[in-house]
Amino acid sequence: MEEKLMSGEESLKIITEMINRTKINIRQSSFHLLFWGWLIFACSLTEYLLWKFTDFASPWYVWFFVIPGVFVSLIYGFIIGSKEKIHTYADKLYSCVWLGFLAASLVLFIIVYRNIGLFAPLILTLAGMPTFISGFIIKFRPLIIGGITFWILALIAHFGGPSIAPLAMPVAMLTSYLIPGYLLKRKVDHESV
Amino acid sequence: MKAFKDLDPVLHSPLRLAAVSLLMSAESADFTFIQEQTGATAGNLSVQISKLKDAGYIEVTKKFNNNYPQTLCRITPFGRKRFAEYVKALRDYLEPDLPTEKG
Repeated sequence: MEEKLMSGEESLKIITEMINRTKINIRQSSFHLLFWGWLIFACSLTEYLLWKFTDFASPWYVWFFVIPGVFVSLIYGFIIGSKEKIHTYADKLYSCVWLGFLAASLVLFIIVYRNIGLFAPLILTLAGMPTFISGFIIKFRPLIIGGITFWILALIAHFGGPSIAPLAMPVAMLTSYLIPGYLLKRKVDHESV
Repeated sequence: MKAFKDLDPVLHSPLRLAAVSLLMSAESADFTFIQEQTGATAGNLSVQISKLKDAGYIEVTKKFNNNYPQTLCRITPFGRKRFAEYVKALRDYLEPDLPTEKG
């Protein structure tokens, strides 16, 4: 880009072109969706199988696997984030939405600790919000649909009865994290070719 | 209709305008990112970044990331204000008959 006298039209063209180049980084998003999708899918399905086919008194103990998962996710986000060449306001908004969800989930767990049966429908309701908003931030329709699906499955988790309700969580992971996550990964891989 | 010379001379340069436009929607951007996006040489970009920094439009931070030197640029509130004024002046220049925004 040489130093020369510009016309007003040229100035406008440069501004538009440059602003369009500062896009949100979606590579991280697909990692977190797949990581949490598989972790929660495995935990929820294991809890269901333990409850259905064993005499284990507290199948919900499997959820303690979420604690190391939080650290893995935060460390990965910090390492990859520090390597990025640009940090857009959309990136920051995206991170804040999910950190807010993490904090709200912790508060929710403390509140419903003695009534753990309520946790699934409430966490599904809560999870719908960051998923839905993230879909709009990165302009990715499967994630928006994933957010809506969370809310439908939250109702099933609450009203579905003992045979269906426990399956709402693993199904939610498939529809709201794993399918959008793999579609997003394919999009990232396709764009980086 | 306003005269063309009313446009901010610090911003009315292709490379400086491109760099500031990139920084407008970013919290911070690496020097190499700006170089890649603008297609400028490192030497030329370095000179223009210094001019923007001296004029108070941007802040430049140098740090090490995994033992590699990294130069981070971010726009200042003053730079943001001057950019908004530049865009308004540009709009007045290109479309002089449009009503002026109030508030």
